[in-house]
Amino acid sequence: MSELLAKKDIVRLVDQWLAAGRRVAGPQCVNAGDPHRQTDLINYTWLTKVEELQLDGFVRPTNTIKEVVFPRHEKLYGYEFKGKRIELVPAELPTAEQIVVGARPCDAAALHILDAVFNWDFKDEFYNRRRELTTIVTLACSKHDDFCFCTSVGAGPCDKRGSDVLLIPLDGDRYEVRCLTEKGQKLMAGATTTSSETAKEPEGPPTRFTLDALGEFLAAGYDRPEWPAVTRRCLGCGACAYTCPTCHCFDIVDEGGASGGARVRNWDACQFTMFTAHASGHNPRSDQSQRQRQRIHHKFQIYPDKFGELLCTGCGNCSRNCPVDMGVLPVLKTIAAKS
Amino acid sequence: MLDELRQTCRRLLQDGAVQAVIGYGRASPDDPAVPVFISKPEDVDQLVWDDRCFANLTKYLSRKEVLSLGKLAICVKGCDERALLVLEKESQIDRSQITVIGLACDGVGQPRLAKCESCDVHMPRRADIVVGKATVPDADAGAKRYAEIEEFLKRTPQDRMAYWKKELSRCVKCYACRQVCPMCYCRQCIVDKNRPVSISTSATLKGNLAWQITRAFHLAGRCVGCDECTRACPAGIDLRLLNLSLAKAAEENFGYRPGMDPDAEPIIGAYSQQDHEEFIR
Repeated sequence: MSELLAKKDIVRLVDQWLAAGRRVAGPQCVNAGDPHRQTDLINYTWLTKVEELQLDGFVRPTNTIKEVVFPRHEKLYGYEFKGKRIELVPAELPTAEQIVVGARPCDAAALHILDAVFNWDFKDEFYNRRRELTTIVTLACSKHDDFCFCTSVGAGPCDKRGSDVLLIPLDGDRYEVRCLTEKGQKLMAGATTTSSETAKEPEGPPTRFTLDALGEFLAAGYDRPEWPAVTRRCLGCGACAYTCPTCHCFDIVDEGGASGGARVRNWDACQFTMFTAHASGHNPRSDQSQRQRQRIHHKFQIYPDKFGELLCTGCGNCSRNCPVDMGVLPVLKTIAAKS
Repeated sequence: MLDELRQTCRRLLQDGAVQAVIGYGRASPDDPAVPVFISKPEDVDQLVWDDRCFANLTKYLSRKEVLSLGKLAICVKGCDERALLVLEKESQIDRSQITVIGLACDGVGQPRLAKCESCDVHMPRRADIVVGKATVPDADAGAKRYAEIEEFLKRTPQDRMAYWKKELSRCVKCYACRQVCPMCYCRQCIVDKNRPVSISTSATLKGNLAWQITRAFHLAGRCVGCDECTRACPAGIDLRLLNLSLAKAAEENFGYRPGMDPDAEPIIGAYSQQDHEEFIR
């Protein structure tokens, strides 16, 4: 037996959520009607009306859902100068319930992976509060492209990690609904119909490399001579990190004027020269190949050693959005072949 | 043409004229063309050339990871080659130490990129070696080059501001625009200056406007219109429009197009008694 939901009923549900004042994010074509653009740009965005929601017809959005729990810019606390004193003003914690609809499994799984690092030695209350307030409705992928490699990193088009509800396309008009958490059950209560029909789980992309081979290469030494050659074309921007569902580095800066300001955290990326620049002027990762090596080691060795899961869901965004078509996939394919 | 390119590069490497060639290659026929760095004559067969060779490779002339390869040859399309002239004028490269391989080009992308529609440099003009033959640009190709910005400028200032606010609100400050730009060669970019902070590092609308406006001004009279920033932007922001606006101003006010005329002095770096601004005379 299964629970089913018609596509038009999802639209109706989203409409209800919006009418009830909930924040709802979902994939949207953000440049529709722009005369200057040649291709559709699909991004997860906060919806203002249900008509903006676009569930299918593309592989995956260009950005990720990490923004709903880990915004690119966040105030940690304010400060005010009061004569010779400095008064700290706590930032208000978020209170709005939020729903992500039509999330890709590679996005939702990333939040599950990130829970570990945001609750490691320090419990990040901003992240945790947003996470508690968020319900994620995932849509299993029926399409993939040459950049997708979820199946090579232990994920896949029906990955359950991080999802509260998983929708699997049954036919053009209906989805099988799998409520995976209490939050998901609550969200879908009364909306679905029971049926004897079940959806076939879609197949993912072919395997691009094996984790065993990759692990062997990384374990065989840090200073492998292959790094400069396989990463030379990297230009050192942050497009990979900022469109990665699992990259979570941030920088803390003070922004303000003579009377006060705020301490904020902004996304940061390990491919920037400045990321590791010391105040002395010394930079322990002075070469792009060292920064690329760090990125791969962090995702495929350091994070799994520490938290038990890869810091990658195989979404392919890093390569898809790379100005020189690099990202991690070509690097992983090359080094896995060299192990 | 591809054979000619590969033979040329093989010869340059075999003769020891250069230690590496910066060109385009791909792992398999379906892959996009990516920048490759060929150091051995036997590897020249990795080189490709077709209308999916987008990257402006001149950026690599300011990357130490590439400069460390030794004396270089570089493949350029007509549009990319303009960047070399600006870099030379700004004393960033020693042109005599670089072998420039010009690639005849009838445009890239399917459909063609916007820049290709009004391109008037199908054949590189100052390359040491030119490979292939390209069609002659339409006589009116140049006349169309500001069409998009002229159309945009017909909108009201309020409407244009609303457009930019909407577009720039998507900027995540990944700095892909800066990193792909051959003209962004500063050792330390103004946004990376943190003692004190000049430009907010926050990817808020205010911080994004500050960054993109600053970047546009730094490129005024220098941007060659290769549109790499637009192609690289993961937020799909049409930076081309900003650049066109500045290029139009440079041409209309100073009769100057960056990277076109080797005898013309860069407008930002030159002083003229004929300047029509009184304060400078």
